Amino acid sequence: MHNKWRQALANPLALSGFIIIFSILLLALLAPLIAPYDPNAIDVRAILLPPSLQHLMGTDGLGRDVFSRMLFGAQISLLVGFIAVGIATSIGIVLGAISGYYRGWVDVVIMRLVDVMLSIPTFFLILAVIAFLTPSIWNIMIVIGLTSWMGVTRLVRAEFLSLRGREFVMASETLGARDARMIFIHMLPNSLTPIMVSFVLGVASAVLVESGLSFLGLGVQPPQASWGNILTDGKEYIQFAWWLSLFPGVAILLTVLGYNLLGEGLRDVLDPRTNNTR
Amino acid sequence: MIRYLLKRLFWMVPLLVGISLVSFLIMHLAPGDITNTEASFNPKASEESRQKLRELYNLDKPVIVQYGLWLKRMVKLDFGTSFASHQRPVFWETKDAEGNVIKGMIQEALPITLLINVLSLGLIIFAAVPLGVVSAVTQNRPPDRAITLFVFIGFAIPGFWLALMLMYWTGVVHDWLPISGIHDKMSAWGQMWDTLTHLALPVFISGLSGLAGISLFIRNGMLDVLHQDYITTARAKGLAENTVVYRHALRNAMLPLITILGLAIPGLIGGSVIAESIFAIPGMGKLFYDAVLMRDFPVIMGILTIGSALTLLGNLIADIAYAWADPRVRRGVM
Repeated sequence: MHNKWRQALANPLALSGFIIIFSILLLALLAPLIAPYDPNAIDVRAILLPPSLQHLMGTDGLGRDVFSRMLFGAQISLLVGFIAVGIATSIGIVLGAISGYYRGWVDVVIMRLVDVMLSIPTFFLILAVIAFLTPSIWNIMIVIGLTSWMGVTRLVRAEFLSLRGREFVMASETLGARDARMIFIHMLPNSLTPIMVSFVLGVASAVLVESGLSFLGLGVQPPQASWGNILTDGKEYIQFAWWLSLFPGVAILLTVLGYNLLGEGLRDVLDPRTNNTR
Repeated sequence: MIRYLLKRLFWMVPLLVGISLVSFLIMHLAPGDITNTEASFNPKASEESRQKLRELYNLDKPVIVQYGLWLKRMVKLDFGTSFASHQRPVFWETKDAEGNVIKGMIQEALPITLLINVLSLGLIIFAAVPLGVVSAVTQNRPPDRAITLFVFIGFAIPGFWLALMLMYWTGVVHDWLPISGIHDKMSAWGQMWDTLTHLALPVFISGLSGLAGISLFIRNGMLDVLHQDYITTARAKGLAENTVVYRHALRNAMLPLITILGLAIPGLIGGSVIAESIFAIPGMGKLFYDAVLMRDFPVIMGILTIGSALTLLGNLIADIAYAWADPRVRRGVM
């Protein structure tokens, strides 16, 4: 596994993705130390100041320092991304494993459930659930997680189905291995590669969805800073304060790009099939 | 072909039942009674409107009965009347006591969203196919690199942010395009052009990530096909490279595109929320967003159901088109 990571980082795509993600992670973790101001401190003498040495990314409509808010916003987007995709991946692994291992009617039921979930427009589904709950950071993590597990489920199921026909799995089955051993010792570890790739790509889309929801006012609620809700202000002041729109957008773009590059790079290295065609 | 169609239609029944179940579950997600949540967010919610909610969803009856009644309403496409907009019917027009026709909310919003989605799909196909082909033919050379970069950025760029930037650039700085609404008041002759200029940005925004995805898809499909034996044969016969690429390879690489476009529909419909609420376009997305803000449950449930039904319909059309384009599917070989 370690060897594979090293191999992955030799790939220029994956490496550039890794560098972007690592820097953003670092900035997010060190936010309380780096941030020059309290992200929620209102300063009426410093409303809508353009970027300067005092305020690297300017100030917003309440005189709050945009750079500090961006740093704390990075924490939010990473937190939401990882927890939401963690939830989705766990559900996907459990359902996909059950589906692919036991097959039969359980498989049919789970796969039809996947079809049903896929035929409801995702963003509508997320918004509908949020309408019945209070918008908060925890709720959107759960909602994004509960509405994005279908891809992983199909993936894990397909892996399990193909592993079932492999000799080492059949050998272990012949020796009388119990279901749990078959699933956790033999099949799951051998499906980790595609799961990892889909996790990284999943974080990218969760970050996009979170910022979209927060932008619409249905995600992370102010005064808590998130890239999406800084952009809501940006829209408000678009004619006078370009910095409120520019920086959060670029941050989201870079983060999503980073995860996508890392994910695709990992796929290239870890999946022998794509190596031939590229 | 008819048998295939019937089989395919039959498959939709369990999906529709599933959709009704999921939407029913969502309604019951709210802790306790949905009438409480509504009340707690909206101080103006009166005892009367709570009573209306209870009646609409039969909350005083057992859960099974509630579901049965919900299913019945879905089948009849009866989603009740809006709470927020003066009792307007959610789905289709009805007549009031004096015989005046009141237009349904979805009835008015749907054509606009469909128009945007059809235009987006058109944009996706017309732009993605050439991009994907050029990318595949010039694999790993500068044009391919440039297109791949565009694809990655297209995936990563937040649509609502791009929308803001473009609105600022084309509307505020240069005044090239109108920044909101679907048409200004004017004579009939200019109306069509006017609607198109109003829709240019929203169509571009909602089509962009699909465009990126599909051009990558065409590129990879073309690379697969170009390595097959029949292409080598075609080249060996001495056919012109253009004939080989466009007539022999592209046709096969484009087949799966039909299915992929079908799968892109829920994303397009869902994505309409952001594009429409930014550009103030009175379509399904905007209607849905407003309903969510006002907790107008009949509208939310109506759009959720109609949106899903549209997705199923889109997938059905894609499957039929595939069967029409590929005789192997039609005859049950694959």
